[in-house]
Amino acid sequence: MASRTLLVYAGIFLLGLVLLAIGALTQPYRIGAFTANPTPGSEAGESLIALGLTFVIVGIGYFLAWASPTQ
Amino acid sequence: MEESDSGVKYLIGRSAGKSAVIAAFVATHVATMAGLWFGGVRLPQFNFNMLNGWLVLGLTADPVQTFVIGGILHYTSGIIWGVVFALIVHPALGRFIKPLAALTPTNNYIKGVLWGLVLWVISSAFWMPLLIDPLFGGGVVGPFLTKFGLNGVQALFANLLWHSIYGVNLGLLFSPTPAATRGSWRAATGVGVR
Repeated sequence: MASRTLLVYAGIFLLGLVLLAIGALTQPYRIGAFTANPTPGSEAGESLIALGLTFVIVGIGYFLAWASPTQ
Repeated sequence: MEESDSGVKYLIGRSAGKSAVIAAFVATHVATMAGLWFGGVRLPQFNFNMLNGWLVLGLTADPVQTFVIGGILHYTSGIIWGVVFALIVHPALGRFIKPLAALTPTNNYIKGVLWGLVLWVISSAFWMPLLIDPLFGGGVVGPFLTKFGLNGVQALFANLLWHSIYGVNLGLLFSPTPAATRGSWRAATGVGVR
């Protein structure tokens, strides 16, 4: 049971990594990202990066909660 | 780990209120800083301090003043949403969703993530379009944050990331668990959580 739970957490984390990688590879870097007037970014690419990071963070959080010594 | 008289112990503090305030402050700060760094991972920057400052001071006020006043408002909001979660939503979720009734770190974490999703919906559906859009004269923010200035739907997902960071931290840090592991498991009823 515990190993299956861990697999689910790992799956969420890996899904996030895949989405993040696809997003990072498919979208061109917006010119002047740190200036006042950057060019528009890629909607699909940046959305995938944001979704990927969300899954990565939620996956890590699951693992941290599971590994809590008070569990 | 501190234990209260209610049979529940918290990661921080001895009461739900104190634990909630500190956990919510940390969660708000981590999410706020992450939002300011979004540009580093090719996402639109989320500067909630400035957005809150513009709401009360307008667009022409001194930027430093806007950032500081907006920051105070933003952190206060984050803490209050955290207290609402800890004292009202957290016990209620345990009652209405039976698998989440037990006070375990994983259940506490899931509740925090769910609360982050709720705040994401509130922010995207109401706060951004109804308050921020008129500030810039209209047409800047799309319905449900499907547009935000130069950004399209990526703003919606960046907002999801921001609120997930808040929810993850809140759920991990506000973590009530039974003080005694044997004989006094009151989690199913939520007793002692308030």
